[in-house]
Amino acid sequence: MNGDLENSTPLQSMQRIALLGSHLTSTRNKPSHKMAETKSDIHLYTAQTPNGIKVSMLLEELGLPYKVTAIEISKNTQKEPWFLDINPNGRIPALTDTLPDGSPVRLFESGSIMQYLVDRYDTEHKLSYPRGTAEYYEVNSWLFWQMGGLGPMQGQANHFARYAPEKIQYGIDRYQNETRRLYRVMDTQLSKSTSGYLVGDRLTIADIACWGWVAAGSWAGIRMDGLDHLNAWLDKVLTHPGCEKGRHVPSRHTMLDNRNKTEEELDKAAQKTRAWVQQGMKEDAKK
Amino acid sequence: MATKLNPLKPIRVWLTPPGPNPWKVVFLFEELGLNYEIKSFSFADVKKKPFTDVNPNGRVPAIEDPNTGLTLWESGAIYQYIVELYDTDKRLTHEALNDRHLCNQWLHFQMSGQGPYFGQAGWFQHLHPEKIPSAIERYTAEIKRVLGVLDGALAAAKPAAGDGARWLVGGKMTFADMAFVPWDFRLAEVLLQSWDEVWEGLPHARAWHERMVELPSWKRSMEHRARLMDEQGLQWNGVPKGIETFTEYEEKIARGEQ
Ligand SMILES: N[C@@H](CCC(=O)N[C@@H](CS)C(=O)NCC(=O)O)C(=O)O
Ligand SMILES: N[C@@H](CCC(=O)N[C@@H](CS)C(=O)NCC(=O)O)C(=O)O
Repeated sequence: MNGDLENSTPLQSMQRIALLGSHLTSTRNKPSHKMAETKSDIHLYTAQTPNGIKVSMLLEELGLPYKVTAIEISKNTQKEPWFLDINPNGRIPALTDTLPDGSPVRLFESGSIMQYLVDRYDTEHKLSYPRGTAEYYEVNSWLFWQMGGLGPMQGQANHFARYAPEKIQYGIDRYQNETRRLYRVMDTQLSKSTSGYLVGDRLTIADIACWGWVAAGSWAGIRMDGLDHLNAWLDKVLTHPGCEKGRHVPSRHTMLDNRNKTEEELDKAAQKTRAWVQQGMKEDAKK
Repeated sequence: MATKLNPLKPIRVWLTPPGPNPWKVVFLFEELGLNYEIKSFSFADVKKKPFTDVNPNGRVPAIEDPNTGLTLWESGAIYQYIVELYDTDKRLTHEALNDRHLCNQWLHFQMSGQGPYFGQAGWFQHLHPEKIPSAIERYTAEIKRVLGVLDGALAAAKPAAGDGARWLVGGKMTFADMAFVPWDFRLAEVLLQSWDEVWEGLPHARAWHERMVELPSWKRSMEHRARLMDEQGLQWNGVPKGIETFTEYEEKIARGEQ
């Protein structure tokens, strides 16, 4: 068996993973999960932000019905006790659902919400790959890359470039440079892809997770030139009707308009948000 | 134990010894008793070949599993892969859909909420040559907030029958709990506080963390770290041998000598 593996082509080893995978999933796939579940009781708590629209884009792509509650971040609705019951971390998005046996599901962290949704509802693998395939795990690499890298680093770029009470050039440079580096990593990956998507032949949750962030690159002050594959990908994702529809939840997505704005215009637009971010920081510091 | 699927060939983990992230994966390998091997290299080479052929993002850890032919990076993705493939008796995870996704939820929280912010605090506290108080405050406050979220979740968890231990999901230790250990282990250093100060007002999070660092698997992981740090001429905190304090190291960095 050892020798087999050593000489196996990538395809054979993928089949091997598939085999290992099916061995492992056989007990998990209860009969009721074989068919895509179409009944749903999904309730999404969200706002017009890069993390929020990940979930609505995915839900629309999956064609699932869902209720939406818009959270007003500027009014700190996400820190109210009823919301902290759903997400003790006090951030959007959060999602609730009901299992076939009637027990409630409450999830936060956009990445885990997306994994849950495809695991349970994308049984035909429109936007995902079967558990146990190489692509299944590669999607997760890119998903966590977005969750632990792109999101937090671009979020810090936003902070220092747009919201911080004092101008700290080092902070602006540090996070804009790192975000630009991450964009280049993504651009290189896309340049090698024959489909134009991050992993394999289809749009997946890895693409959807990154889309809202890259679309907001100009807002964070990231140069978008010289990233041809990334820019093409930005448009390509929107050719999926569900992505196009889902990005406008709970209100219109306007980030792409920033691509043509001057630094001055962007700064002016940041003033409103700056107030609540700084208020939030003051409150956190008091605790 | 016998039902665990142990890979025939060792899974290779690429790591640079100082930072916390690779030890998350080693901790899991040790706890599951899996067949693995460490490929240790210098932090100066993370953004260079051959490592960038393994991980185009140039960050450790990454793994190569010769048993499946898969190369994988991002510690969160590695956790999910290892647990799905090799924790066949579900010792560190749960069978039920809901609990499984709750584990994933906390893993994502660790990856996006703990790691990046603890890392930024460490940077501004120790490695950045110029002191920027507002940046240190920003990330210190975020660390305390994240620890508060964990403490609250643990306070609400039902204590396990027997030892009364509290865990994030389903009344037993899972990979979700383990993922937090490597960064929490460095808190005194990151916050420049005593151990008691670090955990002030966070009794549940403290007990949870201290229970995990007592595990032989964590102790073995840290023994490997000590050995590999030594091999590269580094002291425990990442400062090269022969330099006594962080301040001295910081001064050297500021002068451009490191
Ligand atoms: N890692 C989290 C990050 C969530 C996050 O940053 N949410 C922001 C909006 S994009 C938020 O709710 N901020 C409100 C606050 O910090 O008070 C996820 O992906 O779900
Ligand atoms: N408390 C936050 C408020 C701003 C916020 O929530 N920003 C989100 C984006 S809308 C963020 O940076 N999220 C990081 C992530 O998604 O990892 C801060 O000070 O950065």
